Amino acid sequence: MHALAWWGIALAAIVLAMFDPRFRKWLASMQTAITLLAVLAALSMAGVLIGQNLPLEAYVGKHGPGLGAFIVRSGLSNVFGAWYFLIIVTLLGVSVITCSFVRIARLVRTPSGLRIGKLGSLLTHISIVVVLVGGLVTALTGFRVPAERFLSAGDAIVVPEGGYSLRVDAARTEFNDRGMLSEYVSEVTVIEDGRDLLSQRIEVNHPLVHNGVGVYQFEMLPSATSIESTVLGVFVTTPHGERGPFDVVAAFGEEVEVPNTAYSVKVLEFLAHFTYDIESRTAALASVWHDNPAVLVQLSEDGEVLGEQWVFAAFPAHDDGGLPCRFVLLDYRPDFEHALTRFEFARQPGTPLLFGGFIAMSLGLCLTFWTRRPAGAADGGQKSGRAGRSKT
Amino acid sequence: MISGPDMMYFWIAFSCYLGATVAASVYAGLRKPALRKVVLWLSVAGLAANTVALVVRTVLSGHPPVTNLFEYMSLFAWAVLLGFLLIWKKPGLELLTVFAAPVAFCIMVVASLFPAAIEQQLIPALQSYWLWIHVSLAVLAEAAFAVAFVASIMYLIGARRGFGSGPSADQLDQVTYRAIGIGFPLFTIGALFAGAVWAQKAWGTPWSWDPKETSSLIVWLVYAIYLHARLARGWRGAGAAWLSIAGFALTIFTILGSVFFEGLHAYG
Repeated sequence: MHALAWWGIALAAIVLAMFDPRFRKWLASMQTAITLLAVLAALSMAGVLIGQNLPLEAYVGKHGPGLGAFIVRSGLSNVFGAWYFLIIVTLLGVSVITCSFVRIARLVRTPSGLRIGKLGSLLTHISIVVVLVGGLVTALTGFRVPAERFLSAGDAIVVPEGGYSLRVDAARTEFNDRGMLSEYVSEVTVIEDGRDLLSQRIEVNHPLVHNGVGVYQFEMLPSATSIESTVLGVFVTTPHGERGPFDVVAAFGEEVEVPNTAYSVKVLEFLAHFTYDIESRTAALASVWHDNPAVLVQLSEDGEVLGEQWVFAAFPAHDDGGLPCRFVLLDYRPDFEHALTRFEFARQPGTPLLFGGFIAMSLGLCLTFWTRRPAGAADGGQKSGRAGRSKT
Repeated sequence: MISGPDMMYFWIAFSCYLGATVAASVYAGLRKPALRKVVLWLSVAGLAANTVALVVRTVLSGHPPVTNLFEYMSLFAWAVLLGFLLIWKKPGLELLTVFAAPVAFCIMVVASLFPAAIEQQLIPALQSYWLWIHVSLAVLAEAAFAVAFVASIMYLIGARRGFGSGPSADQLDQVTYRAIGIGFPLFTIGALFAGAVWAQKAWGTPWSWDPKETSSLIVWLVYAIYLHARLARGWRGAGAAWLSIAGFALTIFTILGSVFFEGLHAYG
C-alpha cells in the first residue's frame, strides 16, 4: 500500500478519535484491542502456513487452481504487505495510543492511584507505539537490497545511498582444521572522495556500517575461473582399444604424469558454467554458478605438447577425438581462497526507535509482572473469596 | 560431528523421567505421599543427569546446546522440570507438580527423534554471543508457558470431573496466570527483542517475516490477548485455560516449525 495512504489512515483514525467520543471509546476498549490482536494473529498464521511471495504456479500446484488464484488475488501470498494487514496494524497502533492517553488522563486526575505496576503497563503500551513507529520509519525511508553482482578481489562497487564505494581486497571461505566451513570473509576498503578511508573485514554477524548504510555478507561462492585441484580419469587409446582409466590428481596449473604411460596432463583453465561463444569462437563463462563445470586439459607426451581439450563434468562421454587420450572429470576441489562475494546493503533509520521501544517494553513488562503481586492475582482473590488458600 | 559421552547422561535422564512418569501416574490414582517422594527423587535425579548431559555437550562443542532440535528439546525438558520444581513445595499443588516429569519425558522423547551428533563447528550465522541470550531466554519463557499449559489442562479436567483433593480452580488459574506473567516478559526480551538485535547484525534487518519470527509473534499476540483479557476484563475459567493451551500449542509449533518451514531459522 502506498505510504501516503497508510499515513492518511493513521491520521484520520487519530483525528476521529480526538473528536468523536464514541469512536475514541471503541478504539480504547479492551474488546477492540483483543479483536485486533486476534485478527493480526490469524492473518500472521495464514502467512506462515501459506508461504509468502511465491509465484502463482507454486500456489496453484499446492492448493489447486481456484484456491491458488484466490490466495494471490486476495493478497494472502504477500499478507504482511497487504493493505488490510497494514490497516489492522495501524488501527492497533492508534488503539494503543488512544488507550494510553485515556490512562494518562485518568492518572493525572487521580495521581494517588499511581503504582509501579500501572506505570509499567503504561510504559509497555507507549513502547509498543514506539516500536510500530520505528518499523514504519524504516518501511518508509529505509532500504535493504542485495548487490546486483558477485565481486572478486580487485572489484569495486558503489554503495547505494552511502556516498562511498567498496573495493574487495580479498574474499575467501574459511574452514577449520577438520575441513568444516567456519567463516565467510570479505576484506574490503572503503573509498570515499577518491581516497582509501578504512579497511575492514566483513563477516556474517560482523557488518561494515559507514555513513548510516550497513554492508552485510550476503552470499559467497568459490571462484568461477579457478580450482584448487582436480581428479581426472585418463583413458589411453591404443590400436587394441582403450587402456585405463588412470586416475590423476592434478593441482590447478600443475603438470602431472599419467601413471604407467608416457603422457602427462596439465589443467590450464576452469569455467564453472561453460558456454561457447559462437561469434568469438571461444569458451566463455555463462554465470558464476557451478552449473556446467569444465576444465581445459593439456596433454603432453615426453615433454612435447600434443594438444588440449575441454572436459565436462556433466558430459563424461564428450571427446573431441584429436588426442590419443580421452578424459573424464571425476571430481574437483573448488578454489575457496579466491572466492566471489556478494553483499547486501541496508539502511534502517527506524532501528534506534525500534530498539529503544523494545528496551522500554522490556522494562515496562518487568515492572508490570515482576515487581509486585500481579493485579490479576489480587483481584482474583477478592472476587472469588477463595484465594486465601492460594500462596502461589 | 562427533557422538559424545553426553548421550549416556541423556539416556539416564530419559530413564529417570520415564520412571517418574510411571510413579506420577500411580500417584495420581492412589495419592500416597511416599509415591510423590519417589516422583520427586526420580525427577531430581533426571534433572541432575540432564544438567550433566547439557554441560558435557557445551564443553565438548564449545557452544551452548541450542543449535539443533535435539539440543533445544533437551534444554527445554531441563527448563520445564526446573520450573515445576520451583513450585514443588507450594501447598495444594502436590498433584500439579508431579506432572513435571511426564511433560519433561514427552519433550525428551521428541528430542530423541532428532540427530544427536555434536556440531563442533557452528555455521557462520550462529557464531554470535546473541545465540546464548536469544535462545536461553526464549527456552526459559517457553518452560514457563509449559507450566501454565499443565495447570490449564488440569483446570479443564477438574472443571469436568470436579477438583476433588487436587489443586482448587483458583489455584490452577493463579498458577497459569503467574507462569504466563513470568514467561511473557522473558519471551518478549529473549525471543523478540534479542532476536531482533541479532537479526539486525546478521541479516541487516531486525524483522524479516520469516516463518519462525512470525509464529513467535503469534505466540506473543495470543499471550498478550490472554493477559489483557485477564487483567482488564477479569476473564478467567475455562476460556482463559483454553487460551493458555492454544498459546502453548503455538509455542510447540514455533519450536518445531523449522522442521516444516523453510526460512532463515531452518538450521536443523
